[in-house]
Amino acid sequence: MMTDQTIDPPVAKARSPLSEAWEMFRHNHSAMVGLGLLVLIVLAAIFGPLLYPTDPFDMVWAPFSPPGEEGFLLGTDYLGRDLLSQILYGARVTLIIGLSAAIVTVVIGVTVGALAGFYGGIVEEALMRFTEFFQVLPTLLFSMVIVALFGASLPMITFAIGIVSWTAVARITRSEFQRVRELEYVMASRASGASNSKLMFEVILPNALPPIIVQSALMVGSAILFEAGLSFLGLTDPNVVSWGQIIGSNRQYILESSFTVTIPGLAIFITVLAISLVGDGLNDALNPKLRKR
Amino acid sequence: MAPLLKVENLRIELATRAGVAPVIDNLNLELGHGESISFVGESGCGKSMTALAIMGLLPEGIGRVASGSIQFDGEELTTASPRRLREIRGNEISMIFQEPMTSLNPVYTVGEQIAEVLRAHQGLSQKAAWKQAIELLNAVQIPNPKSRMESYPFQMSGGQRQRVMIAIALACTPKILIADEPTTALDVTVQAQIFDLLRDLRAQTGTSIIMITHDMGAVAEMSERMIVMYAGRKAEEGPVDQVIARARHPYTHGLISCVPHIVANLTEERQDLTEVPGIVPGLSEFGQDLCLFSSRCPRVTDQCRQARPPEAHFGNSRISACWHAEEL
Amino acid sequence: MSDLLDVQNLSVRFGVRRKGGFFAKPTYLTAVDDISFTVRKGETLAIVGESGSGKTTAALAIARLVSGLTSGKILLEGRDLLPLDREDLKDMRQKVQVIFQDPYSSLNPRKRAEDIVREPLDSLTDKSISEKREIVDGLFKAVGLHPEQKRLFPHQFSGGQRQRIGIARALSTQPEVIICDEPVSALDVAVQAQILNLLRRLQTEFGLTYVFISHDLGVVQHMCDSVAVMYMGKIVEHADRLSLFNNPLHPYTAALLSAVPSVDPMLREQSRRILIPGDPPDPLDLPKGCRFASRCPVAEARCRDVAPRLKLAGSNHRAACHLVEDETSPLAGIRS
Repeated sequence: MMTDQTIDPPVAKARSPLSEAWEMFRHNHSAMVGLGLLVLIVLAAIFGPLLYPTDPFDMVWAPFSPPGEEGFLLGTDYLGRDLLSQILYGARVTLIIGLSAAIVTVVIGVTVGALAGFYGGIVEEALMRFTEFFQVLPTLLFSMVIVALFGASLPMITFAIGIVSWTAVARITRSEFQRVRELEYVMASRASGASNSKLMFEVILPNALPPIIVQSALMVGSAILFEAGLSFLGLTDPNVVSWGQIIGSNRQYILESSFTVTIPGLAIFITVLAISLVGDGLNDALNPKLRKR
Repeated sequence: MAPLLKVENLRIELATRAGVAPVIDNLNLELGHGESISFVGESGCGKSMTALAIMGLLPEGIGRVASGSIQFDGEELTTASPRRLREIRGNEISMIFQEPMTSLNPVYTVGEQIAEVLRAHQGLSQKAAWKQAIELLNAVQIPNPKSRMESYPFQMSGGQRQRVMIAIALACTPKILIADEPTTALDVTVQAQIFDLLRDLRAQTGTSIIMITHDMGAVAEMSERMIVMYAGRKAEEGPVDQVIARARHPYTHGLISCVPHIVANLTEERQDLTEVPGIVPGLSEFGQDLCLFSSRCPRVTDQCRQARPPEAHFGNSRISACWHAEEL
Repeated sequence: MSDLLDVQNLSVRFGVRRKGGFFAKPTYLTAVDDISFTVRKGETLAIVGESGSGKTTAALAIARLVSGLTSGKILLEGRDLLPLDREDLKDMRQKVQVIFQDPYSSLNPRKRAEDIVREPLDSLTDKSISEKREIVDGLFKAVGLHPEQKRLFPHQFSGGQRQRIGIARALSTQPEVIICDEPVSALDVAVQAQILNLLRRLQTEFGLTYVFISHDLGVVQHMCDSVAVMYMGKIVEHADRLSLFNNPLHPYTAALLSAVPSVDPMLREQSRRILIPGDPPDPLDLPKGCRFASRCPVAEARCRDVAPRLKLAGSNHRAACHLVEDETSPLAGIRS
């Protein structure tokens, strides 16, 4: 067999786009700070309650004891419950709600967006009108209605948050699918005999993922904020502690002992900030335009 | 007469992740009044970078003129103030690009865009600018220029958009027009129209043209002189027909013979195309003291790998930077 | 030699909605309009034309890769490819493969080179893993890549190397016909020669039949055995290589040829350019007569009224022009 002369000696090591993205992420200071914070928060949520077993619902001391006094690092709330314990237990609930609401969002959003973007035509028209219907609903009001009607259990709150916020993911997925669908390697896969489902999930989806990942990461943050909003309004499961709920229950005493509101507020702020920093870092790392050079 | 543009020992450095690389390495060139020259080479050889340096448009913070000079009409451009450079751009040196769609603003009509340039650079009144814009559209041979003034870029074909770009570039009767691959995105019959237009306009206005291209045919159609660039350095320079007839640098020879050119009387016989193996080296390899083409060159000897070849001068102001130029 | 591919009355239409959104009646854009041609086994048919001529649509229709409404017949070894169902389509895809234009977008950036080359084997054949590995290794060598490079990702290759990967992928199922859709137009000139030589070498080595799409007449002249020139969805001229390039009959072909910038000063002097002014007509509002009439330097009244049919004008030479008579171009008088 005649062979063509070889061009470059094969010196390069195989580097997947993913490992290059990590390389980029690793050199992004603010993203790494965000990731560090996030890891700390997740560790605190997992191990905090084990190392600091005080029950968050126990009245352990006089109400409104300021932070640091009487051995209570963050003080006590209006019922004399340990704030540190509440924050640690609340971290679990808050993060779980944030994460699972984001998952609901992504599952609905990616499915709708992928079908619309891949098939186009009537399918797309119908699905996008459907999406727009959810987009124009007043989000807070709609989720309040759901929670008020079906009860304030954790799954229902998660579902309520997910159902009002998936539209952004659907739109991004659709536009990414439309972009990638037109690229020649999709046609090449078709010429190689790939079925529609293979094209959608094995060829297009992995290449459409970067902006979806970024959006989903930010979704976790906004779901946490959303949950805080609902809890603040009292629409929450009274049997669990979440950061929003701590703020909500102490809100009447905001002027006298502001720390009971500020501390959970700070926790939310730092968590959402960390998520945003990571999301921004992901955006830079996964954006091929920025990666070159 | 002194040359209109004189570039001497120009060195442009580009900051990359791996360090500083000389994208333009000791370049000399001259452009006479009314002359048309071409920069030829593959992508990544520094053709466009040279043009951007002349325009004072090097990517900020990344590229800079490290040494050398660019003299335009006796005026030093490398040390000119940003304000002065802005005056020169558009007024005295203008540029047209490869992709006429992205170079036009989609939300304004072409008339508004041409008139805007005239008002900004020549201080014309609204009405006078509009009138002159119609004349310019007429000059670039757009049919019904009056009604075309109201068209948006997307309503025009690629060829017409490139005509509009040329109209904008010529609005202030520049002394130099730099055309960076002006027809690469266009069909061949439209390319022929654009070349004819540029030739006519040059004859009428006496504008000097620098064309950047990789197409030897286009060079032959458009220019008197060409500069072949490779990896940031000048490989060869000379009158177009002479260089094409007998290239004195293996790279030039490769560029000409690797392309299947249209032949007048075609025969059954078909030979393999001459290959130039490999690709242009990456920026990190620029600036070494050797012939950067040596890795792809069929005539390479040890000498080529040990020292950068000097520019050998021949008759008819021909230059070749090759250790073996004498033999070619 | 026999005709391997026989395309009869192929048309491709796309529904386009101009305005009015959801409820507007779609109008149809006829990208390819009733074209017929044959390709002999082991030869190269080039389809030439400018943007909007329908050349790419026509070629991709042969590979069953267009989404529009396709009608006519595409006979490969006598069997029509258009009405095939899913299982037969698999068989057909093994026989017809495509090399795409842009080596930067035609390779999935998330797959390794070997996975890309192997994809048709995975989807279309039931070969064992070791068989496939052997085939892929052989293909890497055949297209001039190091087998050690097969674990790399597309972005680690240069444009020319990426196109070699695309070629290896197209060869993997040992196809009869390869559609080459502008395979070198996105590459640097020096790299183009490497790829063109490789394609010709592979053709003789494997007895391949090419349908070669290009707008570059120099490349076409070098690669083809016969040429079909398309303008606005129609074939305007179809001939063997020598007769087309040495004696172009249709005014559009002649204009196209004369528009190519030449390095040969003799040729430049000789062929004074036949300038065709203006732009092609709106594809949604085609004239009823000859589609080239609005730009044709020799158009007459009948050209605007009656669309010319592709008719024989010499041995193996067909042209769609009222004014062509017996192997003489209507421009013959003008050109000298």
